[in-house]
Amino acid sequence: MNYTLEKLKTCRYLYWGTFLFLGFLVLIGLASSAYMEHEGHYVTGMNNQIVWGLPHIFAVTLIVIASGVLNIASMSSAFNKKLYKPLAPLSALFAIAFLIAGLMILVLDLGRPDRLIVAMTTYNFKSIFAWNIFLYSGFFVILSIYIWTMLDFNVSRFSSTVGKLAFGWRIILTTGTGSIFGFLVAREAYSTAVLAPLFIIMSLLYGTAVFYILLRIISKMQNITIPTEITVNIRKLIIIFLLANIYFLILYHITNLYISKQIAIEKFILLDGGGYTTMFWLGQVGLGLLIPLFYELSNKENRNFPLTLTSIMIIVGGFFAVAVIIIGGQAFPLNIFPDHTIIESTFFDNGIHGYTPSIYEYGLGIGGTSLALIIILVLITNLKFIPSKK
Amino acid sequence: MKHLKISFLIFILVVGIQGVKAHDGNPHVSPGKSKADSQEACVEPTELMRKEHYMFLLHQRDETVIDGVRTKQHSLANCVDCHVSYDDQGKAVPINSEGQFCQECHVKTATNITCFSCHAAEPRYPKHMNTTSSTVIEINELANNIKDDR
Amino acid sequence: MIDRRKFLVKSATALAITFVVPSLISNKAYAKKPLAEKVTNKQSWGIHIDTSKCVDGCTACVDACNEENGLTGFGRPATDSQWIRKVKVKSNTTEKITTMPLMCQHCENPPCCDVCPTGASFKRVDGIVMVNQHTCIGCRYCMMACPFKARSFVHETLTQQNTNAPRGKGCVESCNLCVNRIDHGSETTACEDACNNAGHSAITFGDLNDLKSKISSVMKSNNPRRLRNDLSLNQKVFYSNI
Repeated sequence: MNYTLEKLKTCRYLYWGTFLFLGFLVLIGLASSAYMEHEGHYVTGMNNQIVWGLPHIFAVTLIVIASGVLNIASMSSAFNKKLYKPLAPLSALFAIAFLIAGLMILVLDLGRPDRLIVAMTTYNFKSIFAWNIFLYSGFFVILSIYIWTMLDFNVSRFSSTVGKLAFGWRIILTTGTGSIFGFLVAREAYSTAVLAPLFIIMSLLYGTAVFYILLRIISKMQNITIPTEITVNIRKLIIIFLLANIYFLILYHITNLYISKQIAIEKFILLDGGGYTTMFWLGQVGLGLLIPLFYELSNKENRNFPLTLTSIMIIVGGFFAVAVIIIGGQAFPLNIFPDHTIIESTFFDNGIHGYTPSIYEYGLGIGGTSLALIIILVLITNLKFIPSKK
Repeated sequence: MKHLKISFLIFILVVGIQGVKAHDGNPHVSPGKSKADSQEACVEPTELMRKEHYMFLLHQRDETVIDGVRTKQHSLANCVDCHVSYDDQGKAVPINSEGQFCQECHVKTATNITCFSCHAAEPRYPKHMNTTSSTVIEINELANNIKDDR
Repeated sequence: MIDRRKFLVKSATALAITFVVPSLISNKAYAKKPLAEKVTNKQSWGIHIDTSKCVDGCTACVDACNEENGLTGFGRPATDSQWIRKVKVKSNTTEKITTMPLMCQHCENPPCCDVCPTGASFKRVDGIVMVNQHTCIGCRYCMMACPFKARSFVHETLTQQNTNAPRGKGCVESCNLCVNRIDHGSETTACEDACNNAGHSAITFGDLNDLKSKISSVMKSNNPRRLRNDLSLNQKVFYSNI
């Protein structure tokens, strides 16, 4: 396949319009976080019961996407699938952009973001969170080197090795992200090793979906067509990843249902959790897994539009999946007194914990997502990342 | 390029000299009466304190929190006890307010301190200890005596 | 030329300030333990709570803790800090109702310390689990990890803190067994004092390593147990008669 990498050629007004719109959203995100930090977190919907909220849903989703969107490049470098070699630099670029965005949201939501230097220099290596900080920064460095080996002919002989390293690093990184919850003994929704592979398989699904959507947007901006082989291949990948996600989800829930002390949390998520149950069945399972699966299976002609719609549904469903894990896991009260019912507590130990995100949390989340998109927009327009046939 | 290097060096020289002369050498007097007004020296020699007080605090904070060492010499609570000013009604003026001890230098050097986002800016103990009120009266009387004798 | 009288008055006053005023300002009541000594693991601080003596509706321990540590409420119970709280539970098998205070359990294997990315949440050598607020970045992971929901996050700017309990916006905090007070030699925590003064004496604080201490004898005669014993956290807080 003969191709060169070019800058994105698109109408000036479209570029600047998109840039200004995304930039505005990023500024809103920064303003929201400044307000949250200045006033204190009491202006948000997060409290002593739900300590991680909407910003963390956005951040975890973006980081999971960052890890998964690299899969396209990994397939070409680590698994030698020549089909994706032209798209590999773009995939690595997306990974960096989403990683920066996810980390930015996480850092700006800290109680003391001014102590970021402390977080980056003082490590308690018993903490998986500390490992994650180290893994995320390392991932950024490896991705930069990876992009360099793919774009600079003088070092291109190293791209396969660095690609394999990036692949391995990202598996460990996503395991770490899943283990943030998996290592917690306190909450019944967590404390299970299966969250690590579940997060890996979620990253593969959401990453591929995001990659396809961005590819479609770029092809529309520059008026080029995506080769059919790529559409065919991505469709197959998405079907496989959907099936794998369904497998791990069923495994996680069925295992919990067999463990008597876990039945209460399962009943909460699957049956009587109100909003959380709706998010699980309609969002995570329906919109995120089953509808895309059946829709895509029926798309035997490999048309672009159904695949785009599927990808959008997958991402929305993925957002709800992370929300059920993070918020649903915290909403369920702790079982401090087994065989007892807590009837009174000033600290809300009894009863489901409610959570209503404030506008500042939406602002921060949307601002962070826009940061990822604006980084991608600026870099593909000013640097040569778009493959085009010679 | 050569011009750039020379102008950069001159810039560093000028800015650096300004930094060295951070303190103008005169004693500062904050409004109100504080215990420190009547003292000649601090818990360490004054010049050493001016240059290194943050190092003492930095080491002491780890010793106090992690090792439970609560000696008074380098304790921040002790700094506040001595340097906090009391107004004419005998009420303590928070030490991180404008014109008070810490801000006098820290505003001029544009180094922000965040100690008092957590630490008490005036001596304040739980009600059952009842130390604050008697302390204020004592300080007022003692400070008055010294002022009259000067 | 200064005369002798003025000189004597001046020096006496100066000496008075140097020696008298510090002792007036400082925690005079607790000046027993040598402050310069580092803590050792010779002591292992613990609390025993006899729930049969705990009275429903009494909040003496909570009020005392709030006063000792300067915990001001803002009328926002969802975000206001609570280092200790009263809970009322009903047994699912016997329908017996028990009330008791619940605070940081000071585990020997604290999950909060395992998960803190900067090591701000730590266990002191004498067993007290606390937060080093100089290193806390406010990520709230320890709050996710605590099986007893013992920790609180400071959601707003604080002013007028107590000198003996520095606390501020953006950091996480929890019961520290009145560490400032006991380092200065006190033998009781604020909650224990208040419970004793209220006439209930449900809370006993002391050194678990000292077999002659009050807490050791109370534990011997009361069949104490830990909450969530199945988690093997080996807490230093024990409950009896739940």
